[in-house]
Amino acid sequence: MTTDTRTKRFLSWIDFRFPLTEVFERHLSKYPAPTNLNIWYLFGFLLIVVLAMQIVTGLWLMMNYTNSAEEAFSSVEYIMRDVEYGWLIRYMHAAGASAFFALIYLHMFRGMMYGSYQKPRELIWLGGWFTYLILMAEGFTGYVLPWGQMSFWAAQVIISLFSSIPVVGEDLATWIRGDYLVSGITLSRLFAFHVVLLPILLIAIVFFHILALHEIGSNNPDGIDVKKHLDEDGVPLDTKPFFPYDISHDIFALGVFLIIFCSVVFFFPTGGGYIIEYVNYEPANPLSTPAHIVPSWYYTPFYAMLRAVDFPLFGLTAKFLGFATMMAAVAIFAVLPWLDRSPVKSIKYKGILSKTFLGIFVVSFFALCYLGMVPPTETKTLLSKIFTLGYFSYFLLMPIYTRIEKCKPVPERVAEA
Amino acid sequence: MQPKSPPNPIRRQLLTSITSLLGFVGVIFAAIPFLSAFKPSARAEAAGAPVKVNISKLSPGELMTVEWRGMPVFVYKVSSEAQNALSADKSKLADPNSDQQQQPEYAQNDTRSRKKGIAVVKGVCTHLGCAPKFYPEATSQDFDPNWQGGFFCPCHGSKFDLAGRVYANVPAPTNLEVPPHYFETDSTLVIGSDGAS
Amino acid sequence: MKLLVFLAFAFFSGLSISAGDYKCGSIECYEFSPDTKDKESLQRGLSAYMNYCYGCHSLKYSRYKRVAEDLSIPLDIYEQNLIFDDSKIGDLMHISLKESKAIELLGAKPPDLTLEARLRSPEWVYTYLDTFYEDSSRPYGVNNKVYVNVSMPHVLEDIQLELSEEEYDRYIADITNFLTYVSDPSAETRKQLGIYVILFLLIFTAFAYLVYREFKKDLK
Repeated sequence: MTTDTRTKRFLSWIDFRFPLTEVFERHLSKYPAPTNLNIWYLFGFLLIVVLAMQIVTGLWLMMNYTNSAEEAFSSVEYIMRDVEYGWLIRYMHAAGASAFFALIYLHMFRGMMYGSYQKPRELIWLGGWFTYLILMAEGFTGYVLPWGQMSFWAAQVIISLFSSIPVVGEDLATWIRGDYLVSGITLSRLFAFHVVLLPILLIAIVFFHILALHEIGSNNPDGIDVKKHLDEDGVPLDTKPFFPYDISHDIFALGVFLIIFCSVVFFFPTGGGYIIEYVNYEPANPLSTPAHIVPSWYYTPFYAMLRAVDFPLFGLTAKFLGFATMMAAVAIFAVLPWLDRSPVKSIKYKGILSKTFLGIFVVSFFALCYLGMVPPTETKTLLSKIFTLGYFSYFLLMPIYTRIEKCKPVPERVAEA
Repeated sequence: MQPKSPPNPIRRQLLTSITSLLGFVGVIFAAIPFLSAFKPSARAEAAGAPVKVNISKLSPGELMTVEWRGMPVFVYKVSSEAQNALSADKSKLADPNSDQQQQPEYAQNDTRSRKKGIAVVKGVCTHLGCAPKFYPEATSQDFDPNWQGGFFCPCHGSKFDLAGRVYANVPAPTNLEVPPHYFETDSTLVIGSDGAS
Repeated sequence: MKLLVFLAFAFFSGLSISAGDYKCGSIECYEFSPDTKDKESLQRGLSAYMNYCYGCHSLKYSRYKRVAEDLSIPLDIYEQNLIFDDSKIGDLMHISLKESKAIELLGAKPPDLTLEARLRSPEWVYTYLDTFYEDSSRPYGVNNKVYVNVSMPHVLEDIQLELSEEEYDRYIADITNFLTYVSDPSAETRKQLGIYVILFLLIFTAFAYLVYREFKKDLK
């Protein structure tokens, strides 16, 4: 018997009991991806790679990290110095967090640009949005663990935000902390969230996200419904199998990504203070706030909005309104599928208004990202207000501008695009 | 669309193979730091540094237990009569001449010691890692009416003589291990290092 | 609660509590680029640190043995000359001065300096060591331009008086180099390893590109 037939027999033994070949072909090797996918369709694959990397490096860090207020800081230095290659594993995890956010922002923007959230992909979009929420929680809880000055004061400030909620806020914040001030008790529970609860949720939702995607099929830059034209086997004509066409593209993209990522990890591991803040090289000290504290770059747009709302309204405090604005800015992504009334998906075929507002959104996002990093001045706060309006106008005016604008006709086939 | 037959199949096959091979090599290299991180850290190494013991007050028949790398190391005196007995009767032992590398070269002798009369053995049974009990006297015991003195493991009944040599027909396969050690002075024993000489 | 509101406000308004807008306290940092490859400089810096700073400032995240190995100092020589108490070579570099004693003597606990060069920057450390000046209003008669109203005496005063300006600059450069090294001891290994990793990835990516292009032909 040749090895070839032996493998086949073994596979059929498995397939009789578990749909291995079927799952492999359906979700990987024969997954039909539209032929016109471009560079924007690489980030999903890279996100999966980064997720896997964060899980592996996180597991290794967890083996050596101590989650007590007394020892957390020194246990991180223990990893950096005493554990062989501990520095590499930790730098990978820290840079991995930033990479995760950079990629998810690009991935989300792709969806917004090509209308990937539109019917029938609402659940895919919602799954992705939920992933983003959990990722933000992961980023925050992970940030606290080294228990440096930034960790401590970030925890202090973020948890204090909850105290702005009318009536219950104060008790809620204390309940979250488990103490009257951020302490080792808070650290321990954030640690438990970071390493158990949130990763489990993250993996589950990503699984859901991919399963839902593979049910409907990928959107494409032209927003063409490729399922309208099938070949004799029922495979859409304008698609290609994932193996070898997409995987070869993805692997090439992975190579490029790893070159960038490893350049950061090996040569700029602190990312000039954007990946690991220098202030965090001082152990947490509840009695002294560091001079300049800013959140990680991936939260700064929302942080800028929080600062922009400095006026009370309708009897609500500015503090609460700022908090609510920040939350709304994240939450509003969830309703995007129901705000878009356009008959077409892709920005290519939408009208001038959609293009303008998407442009306004991008400019506002980057501007807020910058404004959240720098100390505020009167002009900068005014700018933050303007860009906050810009950010929300993209969403809130969408039901209007997508309805009134004139769209271009979407071609039937990819070749006509 | 279905996969097409390529214009130059050899080139395609070759490129795919090289890239796969490189990817495989890359994964192996990437695994190195993660596997290395499992080695004892600098802290564990520092904690496992050689231990100095003062043996001037050790009395015959007394078992001194020293912790080295978290393991018990037994230090005790062996009288000259007992030493003679160890050399005389080897019939019941599994490895009487310590042929198995369970001791440094300098301890490959009938008393398995570097310095005659002072025994240093790891208190870890070579069967499944229990700490054997010390019965130094050559008197009848419950587990052996003809007991000649040595160690008895309470877990599975392995027996060792006063030199830490294992008896035949017990669960433990090899003699008790002798850790590296040297005598800095007559009364100072260093466990965990062979010494400079 | 009021405290929290204040803190939150301080955070959100990005209030700067430190003095001055310069990176080095009341002045601009002096130009300095650390060289952690120069082992002789690191050894001199270590020796100066151990003699003038280590009495009060521990390096408690670092181990003697690691420093000895990274700086190519034989372990026995290190043990004889650079360990002042009964610490073993594998131990962390704790000082023998107890915290309570330090507060009694100096009024404050001198900070651990293992990570100082990362926390502040090497330029900061260098400039700090170079800008002590006489100020009779301060308890030790000296003040510092970088760390204004520092509660530490100028321990290198004798050295500074003894050496020429150039020699003193080299002396503090050595200390700064050493502190830069000890704040990130894996830096040199990391950069070396990084070159090999990037080279490998470039080769891999080149081939991955060729494979991608090869399959792309089918799609035309």
